[in-house]
Amino acid sequence: MDESLCQLAERLDAGQLSRREFLRRSAVITGSTAAGLHVLHRMADGQTRPKMRVWLFKSFVTDCNDILARQVETWAKERKVDVEFDWATFGDREQKFVAAIEAGNPPDVAEMNYQGPMRYRAALRDVTKLAKDLAGARGGLLPYADRVVQVNGQYFGIAHQAFGGGLHIRKDVVSEKGLKMPKVYDPDVLDVAKKCQDPSKDLWGFGQTLNRCDDGNGFMQNILWDYGGSAWDKDGKPALATTFMKQNLEALKFCVDTIQKHKVQPPGVMGWTDVSNNEAYMAGKLVCTNNGASLYYAMVKKKHPLADKTAVILTPGGPAGSFTFVGAYNWGIFQKSKYHELAEDMIRWVEDEKHFEEFMKVSVGQAGPVYKSRADNPYWKTDPNFEGMKENILRSVWPGYPGPITPAAIEVQAQYVLCDMAGRVVTAGLSPEAALKEAHARVEEIHKFRSRG
Amino acid sequence: MSIARPLPAKTTLDVRPSARAWRLARVLGADWRLGFLFVLPIVTLVLALVAYPFGYAVYLSMTRKFVGMPPVFVGFENYVRLAHDGFFQRAVGNSAIFTFGSVAVKLVLGMAMALVLTSPIRFRSVFTGILLVPWVAPTVVTALNFLWIYDGSLGVLNYLLVKVFRVMPQGVGWLSEPGTAMASVVFVNIWRGFPFFGISFLAGMKAIPADLYEAAAVDGASVLQRFHHVTLPGLRNILIIVVLLSTIWTFNDFAIVYILTKGGPGGATMVLPVFTYEMAFGAQRLGDAIAVALYMLPPLALVIILLARYMRRGSAR
Repeated sequence: MDESLCQLAERLDAGQLSRREFLRRSAVITGSTAAGLHVLHRMADGQTRPKMRVWLFKSFVTDCNDILARQVETWAKERKVDVEFDWATFGDREQKFVAAIEAGNPPDVAEMNYQGPMRYRAALRDVTKLAKDLAGARGGLLPYADRVVQVNGQYFGIAHQAFGGGLHIRKDVVSEKGLKMPKVYDPDVLDVAKKCQDPSKDLWGFGQTLNRCDDGNGFMQNILWDYGGSAWDKDGKPALATTFMKQNLEALKFCVDTIQKHKVQPPGVMGWTDVSNNEAYMAGKLVCTNNGASLYYAMVKKKHPLADKTAVILTPGGPAGSFTFVGAYNWGIFQKSKYHELAEDMIRWVEDEKHFEEFMKVSVGQAGPVYKSRADNPYWKTDPNFEGMKENILRSVWPGYPGPITPAAIEVQAQYVLCDMAGRVVTAGLSPEAALKEAHARVEEIHKFRSRG
Repeated sequence: MSIARPLPAKTTLDVRPSARAWRLARVLGADWRLGFLFVLPIVTLVLALVAYPFGYAVYLSMTRKFVGMPPVFVGFENYVRLAHDGFFQRAVGNSAIFTFGSVAVKLVLGMAMALVLTSPIRFRSVFTGILLVPWVAPTVVTALNFLWIYDGSLGVLNYLLVKVFRVMPQGVGWLSEPGTAMASVVFVNIWRGFPFFGISFLAGMKAIPADLYEAAAVDGASVLQRFHHVTLPGLRNILIIVVLLSTIWTFNDFAIVYILTKGGPGGATMVLPVFTYEMAFGAQRLGDAIAVALYMLPPLALVIILLARYMRRGSAR
């Protein structure tokens, strides 16, 4: 550019060019050079700064959300990557995935829940190598997490965290009555609930919805296992009203009886959503309730007076033992991503033990271990309430247990079949036997439908 | 050297239209080319935005379609399976109860609202404004407010009934008990929808000539007789249109039911729009979900045809 302008200046000096023509030509040269440089700069930028779309999950533990976003941003800055964040919540997570995948526009990398690897595997990259690398360096995956992120030996998710939780119980009320912490639902929880509740003061013994929500789903599934039953047998075949009919019937009767016979649950419990028990517990209206660690986190964070009066203990069990399912949240990389190597790098970064520890320490027990070595972290001994949360995770099984995790088992959860089974008894007046058979027919239909692939 | 050859006879300047063009002009009119040009943009838009998505939806409803996987054609299998599905059958029944129960009450309340607002009362404009609030408020806000009002433990309704007025010893699970769940959901739809009836009837009543009422009064007609023989016939067309429109909107109402109950407990409030949504995003059976949506088409189409017929008749007059 300099040379061209110099030549023009010389021609102007020599009188070969009018001043007007000099100005016109020099403006053209300067303008086109600037435009060219801008384009080159953009092209160079485009080459060195890829833009990645990252979907994170927004949990109720807001400190964790902030830390995770900050970690991804730090990684992006270091790797010179532009990151476009989006958040999925409990309410819109699956809708967003379905819409994005069907529109052919999924993110590059996303934090999925336990359903993701099984449900979206057609759109996900096989990340077996990375999954095995990370797990190998961390003592291996815990069994429940391993089941969730792999399908037939191929890994479609990188395990990240498990939401710990347990029975949140008012230790002040329980000790005032001279009672012990419950270990099984019947008779322990019933006993505590009956002796501690005072409906005239709107204090209820037990707050556990059976309604169509994650809380209802989790409880219904756990209670079938606790009574030795399940919706599935060892081979992954429907067992609700066949193999385990007796056990499932006992479990269903217990659930319904907490509302209808024992009357230890507050009015309206069948209409609750996932947040209702949190609100009721924090309002001092419940003696105990099952919940994820987000309830304890909310109390600690807000310095709620009930935080010190609350014990989080192992989820109670039944005649066959005490079972829980704690879903492992995991990272999925989508096949359509142009930046799968960067996505893998980002996952390695956030799963780095130093970074994960930073994340875990603000979670107040929510960021539970998915790898064996993480279960040994001293963090889990810093609060007596964390012990129960961690133990619940360690003994977690998976949807479909005692059989394999299958698309049908996931769909039974997603369609709230077990919640509807309880709901039909409580609200439609069906007998437990009839409700069980009705639910079994739905499980059969789902199994048949999904088996066809 | 080239030899100039005479042009063939056919290429002489013949301005007569060909027989085909002549036939087309006779059938479609002289300006058919220009006519097609004018119609083309809207036809393209309708094909792209209505016909193609609808056709594709019909096709998808006949497939087994999972997320991220290509559809597999299964014919009418989804429709047949749904017809035998107890949950779907209950959703059809619930939709009917929800729609007709809600529209019937909205009709009565709307009429009462219009009658009150046409009578000579003070602060009529203020009342009109207040009564329009439920209709103006966003549905999501309305539903979330009622979710709180109905809450069994922390809701204001139980608080008033138990603590303030002491009419009940214990709160009611408004959204969770068999006798109250559907009624509570219907009530919210009524609360939100009746001002539309009221304001439409009010406009219709104002268009009825006062002479008719005076003549009826001179003839000795009572208030009820004037309502029956003057007001109702004067409102006939508006009434039909409002009822039909509200039927379509109520039948399609998703937000209120989804926010309040998600169709629970145990499917007691499951209506077809929520069932469609649950099938699509919960079960992730896209073919079945569209089949459910298309099951809603015939009754809605019938209502729409009736509505269009009445509206056309009205404009012809």
